[in-house]
Amino acid sequence: MRDDPQCVDCMTALVEVQDLTKEFRTFKRREGVKGAIQNLFVRERIIVKAVDHVTFSIEPGEMVGYIGANGAGKSTTIKMLTGILVPTGGRVVANGFVPCRDRRHYTKRIGVVFGQRTQLWWDIAVVESFKLLKELYEIPDADYQKRLGLFSEILNLKDYMNTPVRKLSLGERMRCDLAASLLHNPPLLFLDEPTIGLDVVAKDRIREFLKEINRLERTTVLLTTHDLSDIEELSRRIMIIDRGKILFDGDLAEMKKRLAQYNQVKFFLKDRAQAASLAQITTDGISCERVDDVTYLMRFDRDKHSSAEVIRNLVNRLEVRDIFIEEEPIEDIVKRIYLSGEVG
Amino acid sequence: MGASELALPARPRGGASLANQARVYAEFIRVGFVNTLAYRLRYYTGIVTYFIYVSIYYFIWKAIYEHSAKIEGFDFKQLLTYVAVGWIIRSFYYNNIDQQIAIQVMEGKLAMDLIKPVNTQFMYVAQALGESVFRLALLTLPTAVILALVFPLRLPAGALNFAGFMLSVFMSFFIVAGINFCVGTFAIRLKSILGLLRAKYFLLELFSGLLIPISFFPEVFQKALAFMPFQYISYVPVLIYLGKLQGLGIVKALGIQLFWVFAMLALGDALWRWSSRRITIQGG
Repeated sequence: MRDDPQCVDCMTALVEVQDLTKEFRTFKRREGVKGAIQNLFVRERIIVKAVDHVTFSIEPGEMVGYIGANGAGKSTTIKMLTGILVPTGGRVVANGFVPCRDRRHYTKRIGVVFGQRTQLWWDIAVVESFKLLKELYEIPDADYQKRLGLFSEILNLKDYMNTPVRKLSLGERMRCDLAASLLHNPPLLFLDEPTIGLDVVAKDRIREFLKEINRLERTTVLLTTHDLSDIEELSRRIMIIDRGKILFDGDLAEMKKRLAQYNQVKFFLKDRAQAASLAQITTDGISCERVDDVTYLMRFDRDKHSSAEVIRNLVNRLEVRDIFIEEEPIEDIVKRIYLSGEVG
Repeated sequence: MGASELALPARPRGGASLANQARVYAEFIRVGFVNTLAYRLRYYTGIVTYFIYVSIYYFIWKAIYEHSAKIEGFDFKQLLTYVAVGWIIRSFYYNNIDQQIAIQVMEGKLAMDLIKPVNTQFMYVAQALGESVFRLALLTLPTAVILALVFPLRLPAGALNFAGFMLSVFMSFFIVAGINFCVGTFAIRLKSILGLLRAKYFLLELFSGLLIPISFFPEVFQKALAFMPFQYISYVPVLIYLGKLQGLGIVKALGIQLFWVFAMLALGDALWRWSSRRITIQGG
């Protein structure tokens, strides 16, 4: 397929998703004793659309952040892309395969990490699981040794290669799972919440590793996360899904430019007495939020005010010790999108 | 570490040969074996449990045989051997694939099986075989030795019978694994099958002939059971051991057993295909 010059899709996009839809059928549960008895005999079916006509494509070498609130449809999308779930409608072609139709061949050429679970064997040493994966993916000895050496260096796996997975900490386990998913050098990697529950250092290590792999191998990565700093660190492209629909798909910087509504100024007063004059500056689209007695956070509309003007106003009226100007944090932008269910 | 170090032509190759496939499943057998090592203590208590089971049946059957020398063609020593050998081989062919799948489904871990480029049924069966090999060494053989020392058991009816018996027990494993995989697939649609698992457990003990020889059942039951795979798990192998099946009878029995091995694995495969389209995984 790759040699066919007319097959434009296969030549450019690595992942092609069109109108992807997944419906789950469940039963409506009635409340109370009476409801429970009714449930025994007649159950009312309801259909939940977890993913609703989602369309996107991913180019080779891209790192894409896929975010959404809990239950927005992120994991369901990933599960359809990895061939675990069969879509109700729409089309997925990834790496030249239709994932659910050709699962065994397809999964041989992708890497998958589900942050909440491990694909390693619980009771055996990490290295034993790796050996099994080596056979499973038919990795030649030399490649296996080389990659294992490299991974254990970047991810620092040496100390617990011979420890059973059940005795590892979450961070250690996650590093092993990441290494496991990349041993066969797949061109396409799916990560479902790879940094969930990890401390700052562990997160950082994993991000550095992913950047390195992406740089060296041009591995295409699609990752879901709740930690937006993952996305700021790793991907330039962000997709936001909410209630099964894609709300935004584009450049992260572009999103900030388009959707950031305010800037914020954090300032420290010289003393508490200054707080009395705060009312003077909070007018006309400028709000002020108290952090503690002398620390305040001021937000203002970017279109209505310039930072210079706001700060001039501030220092003229109050005795201020320190000032920090910040863009609207990406968390706030995303929070607004989640709450309103729409972009902008 | 420079880029040159990683310049590997390591994109996976397609088309797995049969030998490669065999290597993969051999590796699953190995992992099943190694995984069980973590629980070796359990098997020391297992020996005691099996000893108690057989002792209980010893006293029950002893009481029954007070009044008659032979029941349905079994004298007391034969029946005691029947019971003991039945439990000994159970310690080998037994597996809990059904329970494993049920747990994977309940904990939402089935996804981890599905991201592996293997036939899911073969993976479960191979790992179970690894466990069984482990139990053979740490549970089956010690139990056999202890029971043979304590109770007046009979030796195999002959070298040929013993060989046939061994082959038959090996196939018992696959029949049980096949049945358990089939039962396990129901968990995908039904979500919780713990009740079903318990029912299966007792039915299997009864219909396999582990508790009572099939020839003790009413005629109608015997006829019905002849068309089912269950008696080939325990009853038939032990009959071969005792010499109640001879010559061509053994060959015929092994043939039918082999048929049931393939039938159950094929059924499991079909059920898996039917169920896996309906997988819903909660969590995440």
